[in-house]
Amino acid sequence: MKAKLIGSAAIAAALIGLGSLQASAADLVLSLGTRGYGAAAERNLAAFKELHPDIDVEWNKVSDVPNETRKIYVTNLTARSPTPDVFAVDVIWAGEFAQRGWLDPLDGLLSAETIASYNPAFLEAAQVDGKTFAAPLYLDGTHLFYRTDLLEKYNLEVPKTWEDLISASKTIMEGEGNPQFYGFVSMWAKIEGLFMNWLSFTNGNGGGFYDADGNVAVNSEANIKATQTMVDMLYADEIAPQSILNMRPDDARTLFQQGRAAFLMVQGFVYAPLAAPDSPVAGKFDFTRNPYFEGHPDAHSTAMGGWFLGINPNSENKEAAAELIAFFTSYEQELQAAVQDNRAPTVPAVYDDPEMKKANVLAKFGKNYDVGVVRPSAGTGEMYPRVSEIMQLEVTNALHRQKSVEEALNDAQAQIEALLAN
Amino acid sequence: MKLASALDRRRHLTGYAFVTPTILVIVAILVYPVIQSVVLSFGQSSIDGSTGYTFVGLKHYASLMENERFWNALTVTLIFTVLTIPLELALGIGLALILNEHFKGKGLARLAVLFPWALPTALNTLMWRWMYNADFGLFNAVALQTGIADKPINWLGDPTLAMLSMVIVAVWKTSSFMALIILAGLQSIPKDLYEAGRMDGMTRWQEFREITLPLLKGPILVALVIRSMDALRTFELPYNLTDGGPVTATESLSLYAYKVIFDFIDFNFGAAVVVIQFLVIFALSLVYILALRPKD
Amino acid sequence: MKTRPRIGLYLLVALSVVISFLPIVWLILTSMKTTAGIYAWPPQYIPSPFTLENYIKILRDSPELLLYVLNSFIVGVGCTAVTLGIGGLAGYALSRLRLKYAAALMVAILAVSMFPPVSLLPSLFQNFLEAGLLNTYQGLILAHTGLFLPFAVWMLASYFATLPTEIEEAAKMDGMGTLRIFLTVVIPLSWPGFVATGLIVFIFSWNEFPLALVLMSQNAMRTAPVGISLYPGEYAFPWETISTATVIAIVPILIITAIFQKQIVGGLTAGAVK
Repeated sequence: MKAKLIGSAAIAAALIGLGSLQASAADLVLSLGTRGYGAAAERNLAAFKELHPDIDVEWNKVSDVPNETRKIYVTNLTARSPTPDVFAVDVIWAGEFAQRGWLDPLDGLLSAETIASYNPAFLEAAQVDGKTFAAPLYLDGTHLFYRTDLLEKYNLEVPKTWEDLISASKTIMEGEGNPQFYGFVSMWAKIEGLFMNWLSFTNGNGGGFYDADGNVAVNSEANIKATQTMVDMLYADEIAPQSILNMRPDDARTLFQQGRAAFLMVQGFVYAPLAAPDSPVAGKFDFTRNPYFEGHPDAHSTAMGGWFLGINPNSENKEAAAELIAFFTSYEQELQAAVQDNRAPTVPAVYDDPEMKKANVLAKFGKNYDVGVVRPSAGTGEMYPRVSEIMQLEVTNALHRQKSVEEALNDAQAQIEALLAN
Repeated sequence: MKLASALDRRRHLTGYAFVTPTILVIVAILVYPVIQSVVLSFGQSSIDGSTGYTFVGLKHYASLMENERFWNALTVTLIFTVLTIPLELALGIGLALILNEHFKGKGLARLAVLFPWALPTALNTLMWRWMYNADFGLFNAVALQTGIADKPINWLGDPTLAMLSMVIVAVWKTSSFMALIILAGLQSIPKDLYEAGRMDGMTRWQEFREITLPLLKGPILVALVIRSMDALRTFELPYNLTDGGPVTATESLSLYAYKVIFDFIDFNFGAAVVVIQFLVIFALSLVYILALRPKD
Repeated sequence: MKTRPRIGLYLLVALSVVISFLPIVWLILTSMKTTAGIYAWPPQYIPSPFTLENYIKILRDSPELLLYVLNSFIVGVGCTAVTLGIGGLAGYALSRLRLKYAAALMVAILAVSMFPPVSLLPSLFQNFLEAGLLNTYQGLILAHTGLFLPFAVWMLASYFATLPTEIEEAAKMDGMGTLRIFLTVVIPLSWPGFVATGLIVFIFSWNEFPLALVLMSQNAMRTAPVGISLYPGEYAFPWETISTATVIAIVPILIITAIFQKQIVGGLTAGAVK
């Protein structure tokens, strides 16, 4: 019996010993989702390994749902964990994370030339007090994907306005006569993507988060009308399925890819899976800029996003981490990501490269970025997560008809004013 | 006498030495953190405790009282508890009565009842979420193909349905636990009581009401206490099934507290939420203890 | 008894068995479909084609899944060993050594077990951060031990209370000390109680979610339920991967439950009925 007890004590001791054996043996841990930059990351890591055989990089493929990844970062960074060394930062977090001391300044680590090579307007999102806290990796935005075969079948034009899109959807749904087929799908679950959607709709009607003077104007006339259109698409026009209220980008993409929707409004990353040889809609779809409302053809309705790479202040390998960031954001790697994966470069010089002519899809994405709109993360800083949460919640309230649109937006306006006044 | 008291002292010393490690761990993991949570809830401090603590009194509680989302979370938690417990109890008694009969394949039946309890709630919930999926899920496939519904049912996207869906998962998982405890109670009832009853010409229903149920009171109350505590602190169920949505229709107190702490990074306000949750659980357990007492 | 209609009973039994197993069976079927099959309309009730591709892919491309299972196992075994060790001593002292405050201590231990785990999170997170226990096995083992000790102490105490006192008394006559009696006399007599308690504590630890979610935030340290809930994937909710990973993660628990169902049921119900 004693022997057994000693045995179990030994096991316990061995287990506790295991704890000190830290899980990662790699020199660098890179945290980056696979959805937006997967193919490019794989290529870059292979090339980086050849260039630096002595640096062993482990790729931690984090969730592509930004809010889930954010929670992980928050616990890791607060816990002063040394890993991940390099992590992807959503443009909307860059300012907040820098203010909280969760990003190491890159100024000493990257050369001044490297920092100067980035798009200065985009880089601003990661600059606090003149210091640069993250390097931009790529730009992304939402687009309207549509079924070319169906538009042709029903003799319809590519919709430019929401009014066009709604009537085209009705025509197609009536013609198809399939209760499992929908006009419009997008990401209307209570996620950042919903806020992006709302910005697309409201800016498309001449509204937006701010008014012309830069004041928060969530409950403006134009916004109420645009938001009402979203609600009507569900309950009056019935062109969007009820399940849209649970959809994240890929849920919507899956429905569209299975041939069960005519229009899809999500980020550009869906292009690759939709065009893949085994995709049921390959060769039967195209995309255009997000619709606007009649009378607002110049509206900026492409909701923009983008990702940065930053260094964990507790990293034990900051030089190697900076090496990796410099490599990922270098001219050649950005060019390949543009040409091969349609990822919009953050190094402006890349756009003038003759090879860019091959990037047809990206060129078209890029045109939509000319009418881009960003989320108000720069203006709201550390408060942005709460502002976004309020917007997601109140828009969801309206979409579920828990509140009238006007009530929901008035409530959002009041809460945001109170929050920012604090 | 002297010898006895020396032995007594020695026994006590050894006894308390035996108890000490357990007390230490329980204090470190359960008691001290709860006290700290109370302290946090009355102050303002940074997430990693790096900057100092300022006492702010009841500030967080005052803003909680005005916070619609907190009241919603409290209501959601209470509704969830009130809906799940009676259902679980009814199903648990039913299952226990079935398992108390003699029939072939009883081992398999008991295993079937045990499985939902033994699997992690987080993963159970994922399984159900997949079956509830409005566009590709099993339930809608069956409903649409058999013509029960002509339109996909938005199980997790409609506020009322989402709450019901969550209740179903909870009942599925934990009725078995109720059943097992009640079954053990059933098996401890002496058989001759029933024989006496039959002599008196009792019907089965009378047997159940007059013999079985009164003798099951103890186990049922224990099962109720344990399950109510669980329901009041439910976390991974809404976390994995709906993330508290649609809107906040399934956002439990635990989930709300977690979001305040780790999404908004506000430990102090979050601590106030958990203190209130703790008080609710404490109040309920007092009610149960009072209900238990007269029996003894 | 025998005259009663049995068909109704068997129907009820069959219904409960079907409902209990339905989610698991559907999950296993899902894991054996191709991606196209998973999202097909009309839906496939039986995988066609039937494929093990998802299993091969996940075991080949996602070493982290096996790591999650290993982490759960290490934490589960560690927590069970520590809990049985110190909980056994406490349970013995409280049920057998006629301590003055034994009853009060037992009630206090029961009372603290009501604390909702989320109420521990803010302070536990900060304390573990200071002590360097975040993202370590010892940290989560300690947290789980604290969480499940009250249950174990109660279970074991009630088991020891059923043992006859004569043997211990005889040992005392032989001049054995209390610790020696516990180790050489009581433990061999009460191993069924230890087995039942240990199995349940292991299952509790394997299934625990909120503390594992917050205290093990690094990918490589996550436990199976947390890791799979946060499964990273090329598509937002990759059901082919999640279903497969879930099947792999629940197999150990299914096996343990199936083999030891008598002990688990006995252990679970012992405390409640007494």
